[in-house]
Amino acid sequence: MAYPSIERRRVLAAAALGREVGVPGPDPGSGDPLHAVTGTILDVSPHLMTIERPDGRTDRLIIAPWATIWRGAEVTPADLPVGARVIMRTSRERKVVERVWADIVRITGTILSVEGRKDLVVELHCGPHRGRRTVVIPYRATGRLQVRHPQLEPGYLFDAIGIRQDGTTLALLPATSQPTYPARAVPPAPPAYAGVQPRISGTATWSDAFDEEERGLAYPMLERADAACPDAGVSCAGLPYLALGSLLQIRNSCTDRTANLPIVTCGCVAGRFCDRCVECGTSERGRIVELSPSSYIELGGELVKGCFNVQIGLG
Amino acid sequence: MTFVLASQLPVLIAVLVLGTVAKVITVSSGGEPGSFSKLGPAVLVPARMQGPALLGCALGELVLATGLLLTAHPIFRWGAVAFFALSTYVLLELRRRRPDAGCGCFGEISAAPVGRRSVGRTIVLTGMAGMAVWAEVPGVAVFADPPWPLIAAGLVALAVMSPEIEELIDRVRYRAPCEQRPAPAESVMLSRLRASGAWRAHRDQLTTTDPYDSWRELCWRFFVFRNQDRDDVVFAVYLSGRRPAVRVAVVSGEDSDALPVYTPVSA
Repeated sequence: MAYPSIERRRVLAAAALGREVGVPGPDPGSGDPLHAVTGTILDVSPHLMTIERPDGRTDRLIIAPWATIWRGAEVTPADLPVGARVIMRTSRERKVVERVWADIVRITGTILSVEGRKDLVVELHCGPHRGRRTVVIPYRATGRLQVRHPQLEPGYLFDAIGIRQDGTTLALLPATSQPTYPARAVPPAPPAYAGVQPRISGTATWSDAFDEEERGLAYPMLERADAACPDAGVSCAGLPYLALGSLLQIRNSCTDRTANLPIVTCGCVAGRFCDRCVECGTSERGRIVELSPSSYIELGGELVKGCFNVQIGLG
Repeated sequence: MTFVLASQLPVLIAVLVLGTVAKVITVSSGGEPGSFSKLGPAVLVPARMQGPALLGCALGELVLATGLLLTAHPIFRWGAVAFFALSTYVLLELRRRRPDAGCGCFGEISAAPVGRRSVGRTIVLTGMAGMAVWAEVPGVAVFADPPWPLIAAGLVALAVMSPEIEELIDRVRYRAPCEQRPAPAESVMLSRLRASGAWRAHRDQLTTTDPYDSWRELCWRFFVFRNQDRDDVVFAVYLSGRRPAVRVAVVSGEDSDALPVYTPVSA
């Protein structure tokens, strides 16, 4: 079935059930809003950066003296090559850069094959919508990754953060401790008790498989037929069924920032991770949402850390 | 004497048919091969063979049940004895090798680890099948004139030894709220909508009777149609119940202002 407009669903559902239509975007009560800016570097100096935005505009931004820059490791502005794709956290009306992540990628999926002796080449299945990806684990990172991914074997899950370099995806940091079960044997959700939970706690992660500057999230608990996703509807967190287009209120428990975000895609791989986030206190188990990088940053998340604890409710 | 010997045939047939149905439902609804990993003899075979192994077992049960019902041929009678005796052995072996696995006798409901009761049940069933070997009437004849007290005694004996009954009671008591339960198929919900009063009130204004968009959110399934004024007519159908609550609103095509024409309507 075609989706005429997923945003329209919100209006129609609200009309039928007589509820208010939620408004996507950050909650005004969350303090000074953060803005995520993406682009390609045209020129960079120690204090100033010129980028080309996805819509073709050119922007000049000031690099704050306290800004940190990540490209596989902490680097200085001079280390950023022209042409690098950056995503930044900015303040002051998108003028001052506080954090820069250059060429960052996140590789999340089920391992299909592992080859190589020194540098490992891992092929992953990243869900029906995202297809397959091949990543290279350079020899210097294998120890660090294997400590958190002891079962680097087909059928197990993989989640790492790395960079894209010369057309190759390099996995450098583990984004989680690998779940101990195979991807197709997700533990069942704890028994639910009748009665609606107003809010659900769990982990939010991010994925690089969203469009640039897209604000939205992937949610695991969708009806398979509705989302055209044969792997949806799996989660160990006891989530309610929602639809593409539903608006969720996401509250970052670490920074206390809140935003209303629409479900834009099916989070079938995220639902298979029954892990916890230990970013600020230990979260409930289970990934409940996978955010687009821009939304993740605007809720105060650090891309390199890979997750934060959230509470979600219906927006 | 034949009367007593044949008395447990209905019980055996019912158990075999239940086993078949439950296994087929488990395989067809599972979809996740991993979920069989805790089920019965299937754990003893490689992962990709687990679904077919469960279905093969179900087919065997169906053949035995049919044979017991329609004929008095010894091959089915001895087949049933062999089947339950073999099950006893397999359960003992399963208990020894995979103490975490359930027996899978009735599909995913039998997920509790194999205990003495499950093993005892297959021994009793073997005994019942052994009694039936010398009964010279087909199962149909017993169904025609059922010996109620003996059947009841057999059923009670089995019920006492069935951990599945407690599991079923628990599932009813701790049933997931409707927003977490898988919903009936879209076509089922559409036919429920078409049986409702709200549908009859709006049917004539719609351009087609097929929705152009449909989605499920929490306990509601939404269907959207176009009416002749190019407005959207959205129906929300509650997921549980045969005659569910239906709400409807007409939303003008251009702007997002809702024109609710109905207060909540129960079909």
